[in-house]
Amino acid sequence: MKRTNVRHLKPYLLIAPALLLALLFSYRPFILTLVNSLHTVSLGGKRLSFVGFDNYVRLFANPSFHASLSNTLRFTLFFVPTNITICLSAALLANRPGKLATLNQIFFFLPMAVGLSSSMMIVKMMFNPSIGIINQLLRVDIQWFSNRHAAMALLVIAGVGLDIGLNFLLLSAALRNVPTDLHEVAKLEGANAFQTFRYLQAPLISSTLLFVVVTNIKDAMLISSPVMILTEGGPFRSTQTLVYQMYLEGFKSGNYAMGSTIATVVFLLTFSILLLLMRLEHRRVYYQ
Amino acid sequence: MKRLVPIGATLFSLAVVFPIFYSISASFFQYTDFTAIPARLLPSVPTFSNYLRAFNESNLLVFLSNSLYSALVGTVLRMTISILGAYAFTFFTFRGKNIFFILIVATMLLPPDALILENYTTVRLMRLTDTYLGIISTTLLAPTHLFMLRQYFKTISSEYREAALIEGCSDSRFLATLLIPMSKAVIITLAIHSFSTIFNDYLWPLLVTNREMMRTVQVGLTMLGFSENLDYGPQFAAITLLMTPILITFIALHNPIQDSVSTRFTGR
Repeated sequence: MKRTNVRHLKPYLLIAPALLLALLFSYRPFILTLVNSLHTVSLGGKRLSFVGFDNYVRLFANPSFHASLSNTLRFTLFFVPTNITICLSAALLANRPGKLATLNQIFFFLPMAVGLSSSMMIVKMMFNPSIGIINQLLRVDIQWFSNRHAAMALLVIAGVGLDIGLNFLLLSAALRNVPTDLHEVAKLEGANAFQTFRYLQAPLISSTLLFVVVTNIKDAMLISSPVMILTEGGPFRSTQTLVYQMYLEGFKSGNYAMGSTIATVVFLLTFSILLLLMRLEHRRVYYQ
Repeated sequence: MKRLVPIGATLFSLAVVFPIFYSISASFFQYTDFTAIPARLLPSVPTFSNYLRAFNESNLLVFLSNSLYSALVGTVLRMTISILGAYAFTFFTFRGKNIFFILIVATMLLPPDALILENYTTVRLMRLTDTYLGIISTTLLAPTHLFMLRQYFKTISSEYREAALIEGCSDSRFLATLLIPMSKAVIITLAIHSFSTIFNDYLWPLLVTNREMMRTVQVGLTMLGFSENLDYGPQFAAITLLMTPILITFIALHNPIQDSVSTRFTGR
């Protein structure tokens, strides 16, 4: 009798750690964030009184939140097409045989080896307006950190630098899986490079491309660490994003309820995108 | 036109690696090389003093060992939790199996960055701030790993396990001597991924560590204090030290890396 009990318990014991972690660090905080967004919360994180949707009303009237929301959307709008164009061109250009092509490929994915904070510190130093190498090489005088537009552009550049390695690998793996005999047919038919891409490669890599685009959108909506290291939301909140404002409200201003309210907005925004991603993932086959 | 592609690709790829090249070169710059006109791409007289200063005037080695330790322990725990979970979900039938599986995998929908406010409170209440366990706590569950491992385990016939159990082999021995060796390639890929994820994490370690001596290298690197004074040499030296081992690994393993991505994401 006792032995059968142990046998029945075994699978539960095996999944217990994963399940406990899911409850402790995902579901519990998620629910508490939703609950806190409907309350006033003390500095110590204690719920004081239920206020309904007051926090949301206050948040949507808050100019700082307007800035975060529009900055996050603007960043996504600039970043995703730029990033996709650059990564896809890299993958297309390097997709050829030969030693030089291999070298190109290594160069394109090498940025992946540089961690997040290293990359951001490199960008910060190279784009320093007075002694950074970029302004000197280009013979320009762009105030990367004190001009609103330049700061946003800098964030986009930094984001591409962070993403190009992995995106390049994903896209070029998809391109390499396009059968070579199809390329030969295209060549015989006299297709030019653009036609080959449009009618042959693009349809065959579409699922990977879609995956990359959706992941990029999700990451762009959640961007915070690069902002924290590079611009600290400046100048004049022009690069303050949603997650960064959530961090400021929660940890710097001690406004827990407001932080939770922003977090809820972030959940809602990313939820829809992630669900889309899950649907795409569903069609994917791993390790077959 | 035929020549244009290699030339364009090469120029483009050089632009992409330029920051890496410049960081390595600048780590050997003299202080005055940074302000030289016209701008220098190579040091006037290479110097190692930046490296000495990066070591002597900061706790870089402490940060690095904190990162390595937490990434290593984190990876081992994370893989253990994922493997045990995937094992139960593949080879056992039990009440609530599907609901529990969905419950675990659905945590993928909750972006960790949006959970940091509450998770920080939890970790503080558990008195885990400024501890290694605190640093790795929120990364211990990897729903994607559990999911992928289960997908892989499913391809291994359960007849293996039945035969092993009939022979008197325990579950733990079956795992250790058969299943894990059979899934070595997947496990190694996922472990490398885990290690680099934990090692490169920035926001969470920033929040849970206040003591200088507990900082991870990703956090510490931004707080060395050199770049604020436009003293870029030691900062570039620290960055170069950190990235060189990974760069070398990437160059040496470029073929397996490209292949593993193509199996992982395209299913071929």
